[in-house]
Amino acid sequence: MLKEYFKDGAILFAPEVAGWSEAVDEVTAPLLKAGSITEGYVEAIKKSIASPGGTYIDLGGQVAMAHARPETGVNATSLSVLHVAKPFLLADDENHPITTMFCLAAKDANTHIELMQALATLLTDADKLKALGEATGAEDLRKILL
Amino acid sequence: MKILTACSTGLGSSFMTQLNIDKALKQLGVEGVETDHTDIASVTPASADTVFVGRDLAEAAQGKNPDVVVLDSLIDMNEITKKVTAALERHGVEVPNK
Repeated sequence: MLKEYFKDGAILFAPEVAGWSEAVDEVTAPLLKAGSITEGYVEAIKKSIASPGGTYIDLGGQVAMAHARPETGVNATSLSVLHVAKPFLLADDENHPITTMFCLAAKDANTHIELMQALATLLTDADKLKALGEATGAEDLRKILL
Repeated sequence: MKILTACSTGLGSSFMTQLNIDKALKQLGVEGVETDHTDIASVTPASADTVFVGRDLAEAAQGKNPDVVVLDSLIDMNEITKKVTAALERHGVEVPNK
């Protein structure tokens, strides 16, 4: 179900990142390369995270869903994900350690319902969430996500 | 009854929460409750009977609606089911599969 939304090379693993901003750069890179989003979208995500309350993209379970408004630069509805072995702090906030960051690019507020449904099903599955947290490479991630 | 979820953009976290609340309602055997998602700026007292937000928007949501529910996690079905059940009961909706 999620398979059709992940662009080539959009499932990424890294031992660690320097911080949340680098995590955003890494997770958005495959979507930028595919032309699904523009630089404006990446900047909008960073601005949103740094704003008051910007940590609302922390879904729980060390999973964050980076996204911004479609008009800031989404060309095609798509998805990418970065998993890091060592947690980074969203907005440098100790209350928000993250190991898995999805980047959601949605063309508008409603057409991505199938994508969101598939993602919601995955993330509310406690076993899959646990497996996601314990992934040690991109191959592990592909097995869980696809 | 109408349950609304809200986040800053009104299309990511709030949409995910709405879908998870829909799932909880189904498991609880509750029918006829309307759900929707929106951006926090457009929430009014008339928008819904109950508004669910994530913990980071608790402050921003205060006073926008008489019944604001704050979630610690947007993907923890135990927490969501518990808080949805409480909201339904507050508004006099019967919960068959409690």
